[in-house]
Amino acid sequence: MIWHIVRKEIFENLLSLRFMLSLILIISLFAASSFIFVGKYKQQSQDYWEKTNKNLSDLSKNLGRLNDLAFFEQQILHKPKLLALCVEGYEKSFPNYVKFNIFTIGLPEVKASVNFTLPYFSDVNWVFIISLVLSFVAFVLTFDSICGEKEAGTLRMMLANNIPRYKVLLGKYCGAMLTLCIPLLVGLIVSLIIVITSNITGISGLEWLKILVVVILSLLYLSLFVFLGVFVSCRATCSANCMVVLLLMWVSLVILIPSLGRTASNMFSETPTRVELNRKLYETERQMWDNSDQFGKNAGNSYADANDPRMNLPARARLYNALTNAKNGIIEDHHNKMMAQALTGRNFTCLSPTAVYQRASEAVAGVGIGRCTDFYRQAKRYQMNLKEFIRSKDAEDPDSRHLIFDEDNSRGAFDWRTISKRPVDFSTVPKFDEQNLGLGHSLKLAIWDIVLLILFNLVFFAASFVSFLRYDVR
Amino acid sequence: MIWKIARKEFLLNLMTFKFAVGTILCVILVVVFVPVLAKDYLQRLEEYNQNVTANEAELRKVMVYKNILPMVYRPPSVLSVFSEGIEKRLGTSAKISHFDVPEVSATTDEINPYMSMFPALDVSLVLRIVFSALALLVAYNVISGEREQGTLKLILSGSIPRHHILIGKFLAGLMILIVPVTIVFILALMLLLSFPMIELNAANWAGIGLMYIASLIFISAMYNLGLFFSSLMKQSSISLILGLFAWVIFVVVVPSGSIYLATQISPLESQEKLEAQRVMTIQECRSKELEASGKFPHWRGPKSDADGAFGTGYTVVCDESCLHDASKAYSLMQSIVSNYSNSIWRLELSYFDSLLKQKHLAGNIARISPVSVYENVMSILAQSDFGSFRSFMDNVKAYRDEITEYIRSKTDNFSSYSYFTICTEEDAKEYQKNIGPFLESFKSENEQDREKAADNFDRWKNGIMARHSPLSLQDFPRFSYRPGIAKSIKRAIPDLALLVLVNILLFSLSFVAFIRYDVRSD
Repeated sequence: MIWHIVRKEIFENLLSLRFMLSLILIISLFAASSFIFVGKYKQQSQDYWEKTNKNLSDLSKNLGRLNDLAFFEQQILHKPKLLALCVEGYEKSFPNYVKFNIFTIGLPEVKASVNFTLPYFSDVNWVFIISLVLSFVAFVLTFDSICGEKEAGTLRMMLANNIPRYKVLLGKYCGAMLTLCIPLLVGLIVSLIIVITSNITGISGLEWLKILVVVILSLLYLSLFVFLGVFVSCRATCSANCMVVLLLMWVSLVILIPSLGRTASNMFSETPTRVELNRKLYETERQMWDNSDQFGKNAGNSYADANDPRMNLPARARLYNALTNAKNGIIEDHHNKMMAQALTGRNFTCLSPTAVYQRASEAVAGVGIGRCTDFYRQAKRYQMNLKEFIRSKDAEDPDSRHLIFDEDNSRGAFDWRTISKRPVDFSTVPKFDEQNLGLGHSLKLAIWDIVLLILFNLVFFAASFVSFLRYDVR
Repeated sequence: MIWKIARKEFLLNLMTFKFAVGTILCVILVVVFVPVLAKDYLQRLEEYNQNVTANEAELRKVMVYKNILPMVYRPPSVLSVFSEGIEKRLGTSAKISHFDVPEVSATTDEINPYMSMFPALDVSLVLRIVFSALALLVAYNVISGEREQGTLKLILSGSIPRHHILIGKFLAGLMILIVPVTIVFILALMLLLSFPMIELNAANWAGIGLMYIASLIFISAMYNLGLFFSSLMKQSSISLILGLFAWVIFVVVVPSGSIYLATQISPLESQEKLEAQRVMTIQECRSKELEASGKFPHWRGPKSDADGAFGTGYTVVCDESCLHDASKAYSLMQSIVSNYSNSIWRLELSYFDSLLKQKHLAGNIARISPVSVYENVMSILAQSDFGSFRSFMDNVKAYRDEITEYIRSKTDNFSSYSYFTICTEEDAKEYQKNIGPFLESFKSENEQDREKAADNFDRWKNGIMARHSPLSLQDFPRFSYRPGIAKSIKRAIPDLALLVLVNILLFSLSFVAFIRYDVRSD
């Protein structure tokens, strides 16, 4: 019997105007977004490789002496991701670039020609279309599912038969979900065909899997809206009122609550300004200079001659390394504070399933704010590796004093031989390559959001179930 | 008769569920948002006031004309509570110096770049999203709903012409929608004025009044859209669905899509190229400066040996030859620098214009949607759009020219000594007498001798400093940036006219559709 209802629902929907309108709108959006994505991806890849190759060629020019390699400032950039097709995660306005040598790493910066006079906007991509347009279609398909039938008088007739109510409810739900799947799947296929035929890059097995997970997340998200639509339809007296309530709910959940993130962030936490950061750095440095004697006698002097008897290079190295560490700590702390502030707002917006869904898909696709954190972490790990590499190479040189520290004078202005001056082989130097997270790790990041989505589903299912059981069909 | 229909419709709608829910939602949103936004405005205002006071304090410390390097600040617009536009994303300060271009920091001033994932929030967001939905919900069944109920047949069986009915319905819709708009505006104003620090001047009131009118025109446009669908379709559910789809396209798809398209169609010139050009121009300028100053071997003599205002230093004393050379070198260099600073300024403006070009393109594409047009009008009226920022930049440039002229007139074309030092000819002569023994004493082995000589010299120098008081800058031009409402109105007129046009167009469409409407119920 349940199949009968589902079939009837689907056929009824397929022939309706609202379905046709949504189908046309959604497929054209998917197609347009993919065409634009292809163009953008090409541009980004070209940009990325240009900058990366420049960085590598600059690196190879600095291999004459190990000393130069240690002080060489590398510049690395976010790698463009194919899965930005699914979700973009506001990355274009996020910092995507970092400069470092083996001692210090700066704060990530925004390196892109962003037009700041334009309002922030989300790229039209899969998650955008699904979270904003398809969720709306879900409401449009379900708003009259119960109360519409009551108005038409057919609900009474249906329930006069010996069919349990929960079957009617499930039938309605499955009918709406399957109808929603049609534009969704057609859109996805169109989008994938465009991307694959444009030959920008192959889609790896892992990426297919991740795409599948995003699709499953999308279905979970849409199912929640279908349940909510059915629930409100059970509570409302007439379908017009139901649409009003659903529309206002949609506005609140999809548009208003996500907009509150900034306010929440500013209310609950704040980031020190750049001026405050610089002041803190300056004060820490001054304090350490004032107490420089704790690192050894004459640690804080400025003698330049390594053979001067008053010169105490090991103490100086200790002082400078302590300085570098302290400054790095402050910068890292600042970065963490920025992240924490943004995440506070993000967590607040998770009152809305839209934000939860977006966050989960970002985690799976490996984009967005989580990716920024990961990129910064990888850059730091690479920095450590490079430092270890230099340390081990340096250890091989008997002429070196094996003192690796960040002072301008040790860069070669004076012949201190704190770091070896032997040439380095380019192929042995570790190079930075941004790694994508594995599926297991991505899922681990998204697990709470997935649980939340399931929970939303259960709550709305229970609500609609109870409401429908007690529904007065007269 | 029109009036009767309008009254009946008005009263009927006033008691509906949708009207109540929509109005209550708006009231709640305004009550939540406005205090938060007002507090944010106050914080920016306080920062602005502090900055201005600090700048004034620095100006009072200026000893030589060279050190006049004031900062000017952009006052926050109180109306940004209603429409934030891009105000918070543009720089709020500019450094003015007579030998450089005004450095307007026109990049995103955001402290935390990760916060850019949250969209801006203001009262116009509530208005344009909730009210446009409400207008469609009120309008969708005015014709088709009456047909379904069979009452339309009854009305038309009387002797009323059809256009009277349509006009009556339109007036009713307008009247019913005026209610929540007025409530929101009054509530927002009351909340805003409950902050004792917030003051509204006449221009602000005019701006708010115009925003109110713009909101009404916008909402009536959305109502007309619903009316059109209602008189086009036979069933009210279909007209509702058509209206809602149009709404989603207008609210969600067009605003994002237009920017997306604009960035693809006209990509920005790379900032690096521009920066390179800028660096090149500066280098060229520096080398010309060096060449010019090469004619005066002693010009580098006057070292800054005292702290001046704005974090720079100035010369207390120097010898005669360097006094003469420097005064000539500064005068010559100033003419070179002013040429170059103008060309750098033009470079910067060309960058802004390329940004603006993209923005205009996006804006023009977005004009398909009345929601975007309305958003644009609101930000212009709130003076939080890029046009207002541009006029600030122009003011800054004019102010810089004014200051340069002022200093030129005071220092005899940058050649008088008071431009760079408080030292006079007599002081310079005395300096030559004093500096000899002072330098001589450093050769002595005795530490006491050395200290004594340094003490003597310092005492003499401090004596000179004590004789001079800071420059009296009473006639110094002050920066005044009063964004005129008249200019904003002028900029807003095209978009307002467009909204009116949309109204007329949609109303005539619904008129045509209603004249041909088949009133028979199935």
